[in-house]
Amino acid sequence: MAMRAVLRCLSANFSPGLPQLSPAARLTATRPPWRSCSPRTLSTTSALSTALKFTEKHEWVRVEGGIGTVGISSYAQEALGDVVYCGLPEVGQSLEQMEEFGALESVKAASELYSPLTGEVTEINTELAENPGLVNKACYAEGWLIKMTIGKPEELDGLMDQPAYDKFLKSLEE
Amino acid sequence: MNGSRPLVEVVRLGQVSYQEALRLQQVYVNRHKSGPAHALLLCQHPPVYTTGIRHKPYPAHLLDRLRLLGADVHRTNRGGLITFHGPGQLVCYPVLNLSCFKKSVRWYVCELEKTIISLCSRFGLEASTSPHTGVWVGDNKICAIGIHCGRYVTSHGLALNCNTDMSWFSHIVPCGIEGKGVTSLSAELQRDVSVEETIPHLLDAFRDQFNCQLTDGRTADDRQRRN
Repeated sequence: MAMRAVLRCLSANFSPGLPQLSPAARLTATRPPWRSCSPRTLSTTSALSTALKFTEKHEWVRVEGGIGTVGISSYAQEALGDVVYCGLPEVGQSLEQMEEFGALESVKAASELYSPLTGEVTEINTELAENPGLVNKACYAEGWLIKMTIGKPEELDGLMDQPAYDKFLKSLEE
Repeated sequence: MNGSRPLVEVVRLGQVSYQEALRLQQVYVNRHKSGPAHALLLCQHPPVYTTGIRHKPYPAHLLDRLRLLGADVHRTNRGGLITFHGPGQLVCYPVLNLSCFKKSVRWYVCELEKTIISLCSRFGLEASTSPHTGVWVGDNKICAIGIHCGRYVTSHGLALNCNTDMSWFSHIVPCGIEGKGVTSLSAELQRDVSVEETIPHLLDAFRDQFNCQLTDGRTADDRQRRN
């Protein structure tokens, strides 16, 4: 259920065409990408990757091989407007959960980013320097912000899965 | 949406240095930690150039040259590029918790633009928005906007030229936008329009646009008495 929702979110971020899969799903899917994955195939990948987890600050994290990829949700990029600049941390920087790690600029507004987990930054998305709009166009894929180690895996349990996040978004609208 | 309108405290700081205004904004930002405590800080600054989170366009030597003009220079954590603040310019720093309004900086910036457009129309002046954030009269910017948002609490804000000495802008490309100019209420209306004359209109427009209640908070005199 969660994975279908993830695929739905991914496809919503791409221009009309085929839904694209995250790298982990591409490696493990036994079918061509344009057919939806069977739940049984996906459950065997749980050791390698997890579905997206979300924070109340509208960041997402996806864990693959002990590394968490972090980005902002579709709701967040919509609320920001067109991103023109991404202020990201240095590789090697240590982050505590909820600590401010950077900022995104849109419509002359600099909005802070908060780390979903405790860990160390291993990679930043250098594509965003030339193409900050990726955060809007592909917030769950090419618009990822940073990758980090998972210092405290138990923190993942405290984050929302896709259905919980969807419910959270509905509650905000009320 | 709550039934009652949010309460915003109007704080008139008079003329304060940019540094002092930053310090005071932080005080008001921190107040939000214990619950909604919206404030609208109003002030003027001695001549100062400020830049935003994008540092690359403004290396140190460029900023040093601006200092030679007799202005202060500050890097800040707001959005937007380089701008100028000085006497005759109404600077407004709303420190709002967007949770009590709408949790979107895009919406917030749009509301600030509409507030200024409404203010201009109260002066009989037609202003508009453009693909570049801010408020324009034709090809000239009358009000710059640049904000910061952390945990839904806003800081920095807007700067409306009332009777500013516009020559200060000639040393920069305002907001990094080539080929466009700057203007002021006085320049457009061909008469002297002071910050003092403008403030009540700004407050009316803000109250209407943000659908809030305004109360009078501290003034510059209170601050001096306390120190």
